[in-house]
Amino acid sequence: MVTRTETIRPGVNWWSILGVILRVLGLLLFIVLIPIAFNMEWRNFERIFEKFSSLRFLSLGALATIAVSLVAILASLPLATALALGRLSPFRFIRWIAIPYIEVIRALPLLLLIFYISLRFSDQLGVFARMGVGDTESYFGRAAQIILSQAGLTVMVALTLYTAAVNAELLRSGILSLDRGQMEAARSLGLTYWQTMRRVVLPQAFRRTLAPLIAQFTILVKDTSLGSIIGFIELQRSARILYENDYNPMEALYIVALIYFVLNYLLGLTSRFIERKGPSVELRVADF
Amino acid sequence: MFNIAPEYWNLLGQGVLMTLWLTFASGVLSLVLGILLGVMRSAPLGVVRSIAAGYTEFFRNIPLLTVLFFLYIYFGGQRAGIKIDPVWTAIIGLGFYTAAYVGEVIRSGLGTVSRGNIEAARSQGMSFMQSMRYVQLPQAVRAAIPPLGTLLIALLKNTSLATTITVGDLLFQAQFVTDRTFDPNVLLIAGAIYVSMTLPLGALVSVVERRWAIQR
Repeated sequence: MVTRTETIRPGVNWWSILGVILRVLGLLLFIVLIPIAFNMEWRNFERIFEKFSSLRFLSLGALATIAVSLVAILASLPLATALALGRLSPFRFIRWIAIPYIEVIRALPLLLLIFYISLRFSDQLGVFARMGVGDTESYFGRAAQIILSQAGLTVMVALTLYTAAVNAELLRSGILSLDRGQMEAARSLGLTYWQTMRRVVLPQAFRRTLAPLIAQFTILVKDTSLGSIIGFIELQRSARILYENDYNPMEALYIVALIYFVLNYLLGLTSRFIERKGPSVELRVADF
Repeated sequence: MFNIAPEYWNLLGQGVLMTLWLTFASGVLSLVLGILLGVMRSAPLGVVRSIAAGYTEFFRNIPLLTVLFFLYIYFGGQRAGIKIDPVWTAIIGLGFYTAAYVGEVIRSGLGTVSRGNIEAARSQGMSFMQSMRYVQLPQAVRAAIPPLGTLLIALLKNTSLATTITVGDLLFQAQFVTDRTFDPNVLLIAGAIYVSMTLPLGALVSVVERRWAIQR
């Protein structure tokens, strides 16, 4: 049912621009109100920005957050695809592996997974640290040292395993949302199961689930902060090291929150671009 | 694997109770705030809408851990004027954080209410708040119940982050026992307890989803 007549007219839609401006203003209002509401002091903000070493340290943390997020995003995609296909597999045997994995991992708190992996596989995950990768002098040497530390690898592995399980469910719903006829048509044209999956089903499923997938990746970026608890010097941990020195915890954490916000907002913008094109699977937030 | 001393089982039991309490209390708080946010986002006043949108946008893009640390330091130090214990700090943090997600769910629930319904209510002389209260919200909440259930499960898992601000929830106790016994299997036991809490909840959600689905 069309409630409003839609006419295609060239030119600027001022209402939507006004909407965007109001949105940004609301956000800015929020960002300005929090420091006032929590009695933050300008002096403490200055303390972060006046020392070059502090900024360098914080940027190393941000770099570690970004690097670990990227690795986990890239590694989780093939695993998620395999799990989704495994869950839909005609072979009972493969389903019996994929279904418990997906269900159990999704039912566990990520923090518990991180604790367990860091405890159980500390030897295996300390491999790069023992090899002495990186150095403490140069910027990127230090970055490599942090990212490939035992804690860094733990976070990478945990996030990959976890995100793969969550995204497998998303992909599965994407595959199931496709018309059955597509699969049948492709198969009846003589394509094998794998050809059908690769050329027909998966590309469409990916396109339909891209928006929720990216939403899940936002959650992944946020979840890298859990690494700070096991000593991974990412954004939050580096801020903590700084504020324990400068006694400005609230201000430092607020800056960290804003950095996370910017990172995730940029990630979210890509999803907004993609969402416009074609149908999308209904997004149900599975975790946050 | 499950041979840990009885007093440790006791601790884990206490942890389970704390986890459930955190889930319940912050769930209620986030539902109240979330409904408020959802209504604000469909308010006729642009300013109100954009404040609610700003809140949602902000909290959806920052980590819960940062929120919890922030509040823990704020309410634990002299800055706030009042001291709030870690449990309530965790409840407040979880509640305000989850509210952003609940608000989105309520908003999309409000979106499912047909325009004709709203127009009919308004043309009967109901104010915005009356139409919201008697016509739109009852339908919206019903449509929102399945996604709210999913959020509840995620909230239960997220309460484990309260561990980091010294709240004695299940994960905290499991870690405590692990530190005492040097037995990583304790974490597996805690994991099994978490699974046995979230999986039935998930099953319940899908039952409710099928039962309460609005036929259109």
